[in-house]
Amino acid sequence: MGDGREITPGAVGWRKNLSRLQAVGIDAALITMLILMGELLVVAFSGRRGDTGLLLSAEQILDLLHYAWALFAGLGLALVWNLFYRLLGASPGRALVSGVPEWERDLEWTHTLRGWFVAVFIELTFFAGWLITELQLVTFLTKFGKAADIVRGLMHPSSSVLHEGLVLLVQTIFLAFMATAFAIPVAFVLAFPSARNLTRGSAVARLAYIVSRTLMNFVRAVEPLVWALIFITWVGIGPFAGVLALWVHSVAALTKLYSEQIESIDTGPMDAITATGASTLQVLRYGVVPQVIPPFLSFTIYRWDINVRMSTIIGFVGGGGIGYILKPRVDLGEWGEVGTLVLLIAGTVWMMDIISAKIRERIV
Amino acid sequence: MSADLAVRTEDLGMVYPGGVRALSGVDLEVREGEFLAILGLSGSGKSTLLRCMNRLIDPTEGRVWIFGEEITAASGGSLRRLRRQVAMIFQQFNLVRRQTVLTNVLSGALGRSRLLPSLVLSFAQSERERAVASLGRVGLDDRAGSRADALSGGQQQRVAVARALMQEPRLILADEPVASLDPALRHSVMRHIEALNREEGLTVICSLHDIDLVERYATRLVALRDGKVAWGGRPEEFDRDTFREIYGEEAEPTSNSGF
Repeated sequence: MGDGREITPGAVGWRKNLSRLQAVGIDAALITMLILMGELLVVAFSGRRGDTGLLLSAEQILDLLHYAWALFAGLGLALVWNLFYRLLGASPGRALVSGVPEWERDLEWTHTLRGWFVAVFIELTFFAGWLITELQLVTFLTKFGKAADIVRGLMHPSSSVLHEGLVLLVQTIFLAFMATAFAIPVAFVLAFPSARNLTRGSAVARLAYIVSRTLMNFVRAVEPLVWALIFITWVGIGPFAGVLALWVHSVAALTKLYSEQIESIDTGPMDAITATGASTLQVLRYGVVPQVIPPFLSFTIYRWDINVRMSTIIGFVGGGGIGYILKPRVDLGEWGEVGTLVLLIAGTVWMMDIISAKIRERIV
Repeated sequence: MSADLAVRTEDLGMVYPGGVRALSGVDLEVREGEFLAILGLSGSGKSTLLRCMNRLIDPTEGRVWIFGEEITAASGGSLRRLRRQVAMIFQQFNLVRRQTVLTNVLSGALGRSRLLPSLVLSFAQSERERAVASLGRVGLDDRAGSRADALSGGQQQRVAVARALMQEPRLILADEPVASLDPALRHSVMRHIEALNREEGLTVICSLHDIDLVERYATRLVALRDGKVAWGGRPEEFDRDTFREIYGEEAEPTSNSGF
């Protein structure tokens, strides 16, 4: 091959500078976090007390940390480490971006600064996590008594809400079904511009990719619960708001799953159809669609399954379905009735799970 | 430029986005009715050259004419109209595996079909008859209703030949059409391609890496090395010494398994 494989030097120089910058950035972030976690632990174990005379809580300590200073120090140390990487060994950021250099590959982690850095970092993460989330093992193991009431109630479901529960269960299933069904055509259309392999052709296609990906990522990042609150304000409390909330979220989720499926297709048939002189739509119809229909069906059934589970939570805030009557009973501590409703939901989810697994098994 | 040229390339070159150069300075003239074989080691640019001819790949340098029209200057509708005259056969067959054999053959007619009916898989009765006839030509009319992936490799490639025939092309580009097939089945596919050349008068440009097949089927040979034309002439003039001269002492011409 020899002379056949050459790489343009300009691109390499540019890439190298970018990766150096990335390495310093990652290192600065890691070192800053290490410093802050270290400071957190020092303050926590120094026995400092607040105004009330009690030991400082994790939140109070987080307020005291010197963030700007830590960032400043982190950046400085990251620069030093990356400048003198021959002396100090590759930094974590450098190893992540450009790989571990040849001469360090055979070293034990205890023989490199990076190894110790990572080890201490992981240790500190657990200690800091323990403090910040206020883990209390003793309480967990000794104070079960109060919760026992709830468990007892769940074990003795009362029949008083059985009828109402069943009616709303049907509503829940249909709510999930409508949300899923209406999400399919929208997601199907959006999946094509969201697939990387179909959008390399022109500037318009690349723009469509960026727009639809960004939009869908944003929609998906917002929890269905938040969408429910938005639509309840929009169309009022009830199952319709729930349908809309799950629909929006399902469109985003299905678009992502569909487009990833499109990205993994065999491009051979697309080439073959293109070569016949077919137009873009025909290439999609003949070269892409037949390959993705079975996995699409599988994802869609799975989505319905997820939506049944989610619609329970949506009901908590007023989005219809069985969650709507579950919430007040939880608040009032009617644990027997809660038990009935929970059993209904669990049974449905269990059945949906079995059915969807069976169908998906058959399709793929 | 004379009118009876099927393909002409001028200073054709291709550098892939990663910086890999696959073709450089390829000047080629293919007359109508020729069976041109393109020989070369893997990575020598055979595939790239064929794909530049129907613009499945956009060459980065040079120009290509198909039947006197410059395809490298065409776009949209005029590009599709030129592609309709150029059928392609692939090493991996590239059939749509989940669809029936008949639908796969019918897809060869997409270039001349009306958009909306074709999107719901609806084809004119005359096209269906033509598709069955094309399958008959390759001896597979009894498998029209089978799913494409239910067929053997050799049968799948014959379906691909029927799809090419369905397109009613003037030129066939075949990219290693028998490299994925059992040696015993190679002639069954090559003979069908030969028939299109001899009986229908179609021009064939076929990349091969098997020198026996080249001698048996081709009327002219072009050998590529490192993306450049290293040798051109009649297949029978291409002997073992020429072969070693081009590809080095290490390479050995073989008849069954490639170089």
